[in-house]
Amino acid sequence: MVVLERITFYFETVLHLASEPMNLVILFASVILGIMFGAMPGLTSTLGVALLTAMTYGMGPATAMVCLLAIYVGGTYGGSYASILINIPGTAASAATALDGYPLACKGEGGRAIGLTTTTSAIGTIISMLFLVSISPLISYFALQFTSFEFFLLAFFGILISGTLTSPDLVIKGWIAGFLGLFMACVGRDLLQFYPRFTFGFSEMDSGIEVVPVLIGAFGIPQIIQVLKERLVIGETQKFQRILPEFGTVIRNVPHIVRSALIGVGIGSVPGIGEDIAAWVSYGAAKNISKHPERFGKGEYMAVLSTETANNACVGGAMIPLLNLGIPGSPPAAMLLGALMLHGVTPGPMITFEHPNFIIEVAAILLLASMTMWVVGMLLAKQVVKVLRIPPPLFMPIIGVLCIIGSYSLGMNVFNLYLMLPVGIVSYFLTEMGYPIAPLVIGVILGPMADENLRRALMVSQGSFVPVFTRPVSLILFLIIVWTLVSQFQFFRTFKDKLVNKLLRRKSCESELAP
Amino acid sequence: MMEKEKLRKADFFSGILIALFGVWIVKEAFKMPMKDSWGGVQNVWFVSPALFPLFVGFVIIILGAILSRTAWKMVGREEIGKVVRWLLSRNNVAFLTSASTLRYYAIVTLFLSFVYLNIPRIDFFLGSILFLSVFITMFYFDDDGILKRLFFFYLAGIAVIILFFATGLNSFIHKTIPYPGDVLALCFLLSYWIYAWRLVRKSPALRKKFRTGMIIAVATPFLVILIFKYFLLVPMPTEGLVIEFLDKVWYLDF
Repeated sequence: MVVLERITFYFETVLHLASEPMNLVILFASVILGIMFGAMPGLTSTLGVALLTAMTYGMGPATAMVCLLAIYVGGTYGGSYASILINIPGTAASAATALDGYPLACKGEGGRAIGLTTTTSAIGTIISMLFLVSISPLISYFALQFTSFEFFLLAFFGILISGTLTSPDLVIKGWIAGFLGLFMACVGRDLLQFYPRFTFGFSEMDSGIEVVPVLIGAFGIPQIIQVLKERLVIGETQKFQRILPEFGTVIRNVPHIVRSALIGVGIGSVPGIGEDIAAWVSYGAAKNISKHPERFGKGEYMAVLSTETANNACVGGAMIPLLNLGIPGSPPAAMLLGALMLHGVTPGPMITFEHPNFIIEVAAILLLASMTMWVVGMLLAKQVVKVLRIPPPLFMPIIGVLCIIGSYSLGMNVFNLYLMLPVGIVSYFLTEMGYPIAPLVIGVILGPMADENLRRALMVSQGSFVPVFTRPVSLILFLIIVWTLVSQFQFFRTFKDKLVNKLLRRKSCESELAP
Repeated sequence: MMEKEKLRKADFFSGILIALFGVWIVKEAFKMPMKDSWGGVQNVWFVSPALFPLFVGFVIIILGAILSRTAWKMVGREEIGKVVRWLLSRNNVAFLTSASTLRYYAIVTLFLSFVYLNIPRIDFFLGSILFLSVFITMFYFDDDGILKRLFFFYLAGIAVIILFFATGLNSFIHKTIPYPGDVLALCFLLSYWIYAWRLVRKSPALRKKFRTGMIIAVATPFLVILIFKYFLLVPMPTEGLVIEFLDKVWYLDF
């Protein structure tokens, strides 16, 4: 009965949201804007969400979520346009799509490829939405059993795993980025004793570093510098014919779609790991399973389908830890966390008590956003693709102004700008030197949670770390953290290889001696 | 991102810098109350505000040191020595004056001057048009020679604005003329437009780019201010000559 009630309530929410004309206008406008952000090389869905957050200032939480989730979904999908038509990934999430999407466009099958990515992206988002609704109560139930030690370890794990998986170079750089983010979270008066830390006498820094300007600076400024410094040139757009939904191809590939969606949801729910990793893992899995791996890279529909399903399924996956634990699953989700806090919604285990219908609302918005994305993709793709003709030196300065006004308008504080710019310049250098930015941002967001819970836990245990080893969840988290850390060092890999070889030799000796 | 070999060399130095940054965090954290009384509360180590920064600082030191050591082992003393010699030699001047580095200087200077100089002092509408005009013309013409000339012209203008505010001329003139800073910015903007036009007037393609760029440079702040100030009711950082005029038009306050 409870399940039926929830399903009924879910569809009621969908109808309620869809029946408001203003919501529909915002939905369509945000999806189109999201697709444009995704399609234009140099712009990302994270930046789109960051810039639009300022515009949601005067909206209610539900309407703001309609706006932000729609741009997130649209941005993740929009990247495929540039990948397929000009062989430059619109976003990192669609880089894997370019491998097979562009050869398809060169063969004159660009319309079919876009039709397929539109349909599979919508399906991926809907599958992830189903996971969000079904898994959330379970995670929320377990999260309520967590004490301060678990929350500290969870935040710590989030930063480590994000650093490990997003680092384009050495893993240690990802960890360094995460700890630099944790340091930034220390700035301001501490939450327990109100002691000013690293404020240098600036009263503006007493309340700590604002998350939104940091996010805008970290993702926006390096992007502008990179694109204009390296003189990114957008090539000729491949022509494409009519766009069809490609239901036949979708039905023939249902198992691949389900597998890719599961990969997307799984990777999305790991803290700080974005859509790009989901797309690459899904691409690799599809190639391994395929009967014709040699066709990959030459224009294989299965490849396009698997990457686009996975990256859009990541959206719902990223919402699972965000809403239930307050830990963002991807960089755009980190931005959403900042936006939610701005609107007075604090994600975490208490969300089911403080805002009992919020998760259902988010799921309903995801369904509406994916449907809108499908409609826009089918009907307006040819018009939207025209944005690819705008040269970067024309739109990047506009993004610069939007970064500035966006950082300022959240709090109407010029000090936010003084903060945003150095963060952006430092982030640019870090990116150039192979340090990932996602762990830094995750560090800024999870820092207060880690700091507060560590001290609270030690206060309860009177300075003892024993509860880490006596509480099962803490112990598991602790062991995972140790494993994540140690497994990256050479000495451990050598030791592991030696141990495995020794065990294998012993086993073979035993089998030889056996009668 | 740099190439792998260059990255390892850079890692050695960035690792040292990061470790030193960690040392600074630890040093600052030790100044925080560990066992003393703060705000009437007697501290114990596990509730001290220094606990978390100390943890973060020590981890940053360790990670920075590991990164440097890893880079050192991969690259070797000789290669690191070569980098140090290159840094101390005059050869790095070629890198510092290359076209790519110049583009970087131009972008960063534009942002720094807009955020730290223009936004707090000059009408946001005028400041934004100036920012966009300079930004678009520098990069949209896609010519390093023009970029260099425009950049130096912009630097000269910025120097004048800095002098104008630093010497107190702004306050002095304000007694007789309203919005002196905005008037100066407007003059600078007009002279920049004329200078840029003179540079591109012989090329029809560049002239077309100039027109497109200027339309965008004027239309964007207008739209941004319309949305943020009049629909979202966000007051602009500095409202001067133009925004006050827009207020009068919007609220029909004549």
